[in-house]
Amino acid sequence: MTVVIGFEGSANKIGIGIIRDGEVLSNPRRTYITPPGQGFLPSDTARHHRAFILTVLKEALEQAGLKPADIDCVAYTKGPGMGAPLVTVALVARTVAQLWGKPLLGVNHCIGHIEMGRLITKANNPTVLYVSGGNTQVIAYSERRYRIFGETIDIAVGNCLDRFARVIKISNDPSPGYNIEQMAKKGSQYVELPYTVKGMDVSFSGILSYIEDAAHKMLSSGQCTAEDLCFSLQETLFSMLVEITERAMAHCGSQEVLIVGGVGCNLRLQEMMGVMCKERGAKLFATDERFCIDNGAMIAQAGWEMFRSGQVTELEDSWITQRYRTDEVEVTWRD
Amino acid sequence: MRMHLIQKLELFPDHRVTQMLFKEVKNAAELKKSAMEGKINGALINPTMLVDPFQVLVAANKAVHLEKVEKMKTRTLYSEIIFNLSPTNNISDAFKRFGISDGDDSVLIVMVDSKDESQDVSDIAARVEGRQVPVEELSSLSDHTKIKKLYKVTPQEEKCGSLLDAVVCRMATKDVMTGLLPAPLLFFGHSLNVPFCPLEQFKC
Amino acid sequence: MARENNMAVPEFLREAELLKQGAEARVYRAEFLGRPTIVKERFPKRYRHPALDEKLTHRRTVQEVRAILRCRRAGISAPVVYFVDYTCHCIFLEEIVGSSTVRDYIASAQQSDSCKELKLQRLAERVGQVLAKMHDEDVIHGDLTTSNMLLRPSPEGGESDLVLIDFGLSYISALPEDKGVDLYVLEKAFLSTHPNTEELFEKLLKSYKASSKKSSAVIKKLDEVRLRGRKRSMVG
Repeated sequence: MTVVIGFEGSANKIGIGIIRDGEVLSNPRRTYITPPGQGFLPSDTARHHRAFILTVLKEALEQAGLKPADIDCVAYTKGPGMGAPLVTVALVARTVAQLWGKPLLGVNHCIGHIEMGRLITKANNPTVLYVSGGNTQVIAYSERRYRIFGETIDIAVGNCLDRFARVIKISNDPSPGYNIEQMAKKGSQYVELPYTVKGMDVSFSGILSYIEDAAHKMLSSGQCTAEDLCFSLQETLFSMLVEITERAMAHCGSQEVLIVGGVGCNLRLQEMMGVMCKERGAKLFATDERFCIDNGAMIAQAGWEMFRSGQVTELEDSWITQRYRTDEVEVTWRD
Repeated sequence: MRMHLIQKLELFPDHRVTQMLFKEVKNAAELKKSAMEGKINGALINPTMLVDPFQVLVAANKAVHLEKVEKMKTRTLYSEIIFNLSPTNNISDAFKRFGISDGDDSVLIVMVDSKDESQDVSDIAARVEGRQVPVEELSSLSDHTKIKKLYKVTPQEEKCGSLLDAVVCRMATKDVMTGLLPAPLLFFGHSLNVPFCPLEQFKC
Repeated sequence: MARENNMAVPEFLREAELLKQGAEARVYRAEFLGRPTIVKERFPKRYRHPALDEKLTHRRTVQEVRAILRCRRAGISAPVVYFVDYTCHCIFLEEIVGSSTVRDYIASAQQSDSCKELKLQRLAERVGQVLAKMHDEDVIHGDLTTSNMLLRPSPEGGESDLVLIDFGLSYISALPEDKGVDLYVLEKAFLSTHPNTEELFEKLLKSYKASSKKSSAVIKKLDEVRLRGRKRSMVG
C-alpha cells in the first residue's frame, strides 16, 4: 500500500489531501474569499494560506486517521500558479517531508486535475477539457505526454467569468462562477456576444472587453437583466468550449470526454457537453465540486502515480514555477 | 449522336433539364419576342457566353431550388436560369448578356420539365429557323475572351482550374460575394433583440 | 417556412454516402449534375442556443464560400463550389478525386524510409508557399491542419497539386496578428499530429517567410503568440 499526502495552494484555495491506493482518505480545504468587485492578490492569498495551512494539515491527518509515519511520500504543487502562494505551500511541504523523513514530489497542477478526474470517473483515455480560473485547455494523451490540442490564446475561461462578476459586482462567496451559474438559471433573453474560435483554440478577451463595455449600458437601459447577461455569457463561452472539445475528439478519434478544473463543476457546461457527447455516441465524465475545484487529493493522486513509477524530487530540486505547461511533464505512469 | 442533352436534377428527381443547340438561326428576333410574351416555355440563351452545358445545369438547379424556397429574384423559372448565369446581381444586365439578341445566329434552348408540367420539346424546336446541332458543339461557339472579361477570371486562377470551374464557382457564390446576403433566416421563433451586431467586429 | 418546404437536400443526402461526421458538419459523397461531388452539411448543434447556432452556422457557410472563391481567384487550389443551399446550410463542392490528405502523406512518408527527408521537405516548402500566397490575399483560414490540405495527383504525372479545404472558420483580415495566429494554430496541430517534426515545420515557416511579401510582421506576431502561450499557464 502506498499513502501519499498532497499539498495544493496555487491559487485561492489551500487544500491538503491523503490518498491510499486510489482511496481518498481525507481532503480538507479552505478558500480565500474576497469582497465583491475584487480579485485575489498573490500576497494576500499567501497570507491566507499561511494562516490556515497547519489547521488544514491537522484536519487531513485526523480525518484520515493516520500518523505521519504512515505516509510514504509528500507531494506538493510545483506549478503553474501564483508565485507567493506556491512558495508558501512548497515551504510547508518541504518542512514536513524533512521532519517526517519522507521523499518529496513536485507535481504539475494540471496533471493533478487530470489524474484525479481519471481516478474518480474511471475514464480510461479521455479527451480532457481543463477549465479553471487560470487555464483553458483541451488535452489528449499520446506517447507519454498530455498533449495540448486546443487552448485559450489569451485569458482563461474562469478568469473571464470572474472578471465579468467583478464588473457587475456579483459576490465571490462561495465563488463568482457558482453565483453566475445560479443567476444564469433565471436568465431567459439571449444577448448576442462575440464568439471566437480559431481552429481548436479559443479567445475570450474580446468577449470580456465587449461585455465590460456594454454591460452597464444594457442594464441601465433595461434592455436586459444581469441574469440575462449571466445566461448569455455562459451560453457563449460554453458553446466555444464544447465546440473545441468536439473538434479535438474528431481529430483524435476519441469517444470519451473528461471535464476537470473549477469551471468544470458548472452543471450547464456539463449538460451542454453531455448533449454533444450523446450526438457523437461518446461518453462524458465529470466530477463535482469536491474534486473539480482545486484540492489536495488531486496532487496526492498525481503524486501517487509518479511515486509508483519511481519518481521523487530531491530537496535541492524542490522549487516552484509559475509557468509549467501540461505537456512539459513526461508521463511515466501510462503506456 | 443525340441532339438533345437531357439531365435529371438529382436534388429534384422529378425535374429534367433539356438543352438544345441551334446554329444558323434566322429568326432570333421573333424567338426573343415570343419568349418575352411567354409563348415559349424555355430559356433562350446566347451560347457564346457559355463554356459548357454544365454551366446551364448549375443555373437550372439553382433556379429550381430558389423556386421551391420562394426566393427567386426574377418572375419565372426561365428568367431565373438566365439571371443565375450572370456573375452579378443586375437583372437587366444578365438578360442583355445571356439572353439572345435580335441579330444572333445561334441559340441554346433550355427547358425544365417536371411531373406536373411536361414539355413538348419538338414544338419549341419547330419554332426555330435554324440547324440543330449536338449540344457538345457549344464549346466551338464560346467566346472565351468575352467570358473571362465578364466573370473577371484572372490568369493565375486558370492555373488552378479550368475556365468552366472559374465560371461555375462565381455563379454558385454570387449571392454572398456582392454584399447581397440572402434574407435573414428565421431563428426558430427566437428573436435576437440586439441593437448592434457584435459578431460583425469579431471573426468566428 | 423555407426550411419546411425544402426537403430536397435532406432527402438527397439520405441516399448519399456519408464520408465523415466532423465536429460541425457531415461530409457526404454523391453525384450532382452528373459530377462526383462532396456535400458538406452543417447540421444544427443542439448543445448551443438556437439563435447562436443559426447565426454561427449561416455565417460559417458564407465564410467558407467566400474564402474558397477568394483563394481560387488568387490561384490557390480549393474545391469548386457547385451549389449552396442556405436554408439547410449545405455546400456542394467539387470532389478532389484521387486525393489524399497531407496528414496521411506525412504519416506514410514517416513509415517508409526511401528518400523521405527530401519528399517531406519539398512538401513543407510547398505548404509554406501556398499559405504565404493565401495570407498575402488576406485570407485567414482559421482551421489549418494537415487534414485540411489535400494532395491531388497531377494528370500529367508531375508534382501533385496542394488543395486547401474546410474554410468554415475563415475570414478576411490584413492584420499580422490574425495571420500569426493562423500559423500558430497550424503549428500546434502539426506538431501534435506528427510527433518529432519540429524541423520539418521550421522548413515550412522558412518557405513561408521566403514567399510572403509581408512575412516579417507575421512571424513576429507568431513568436508573440507562442510566448503568450507559455505565459498563459501562470495561474492554476
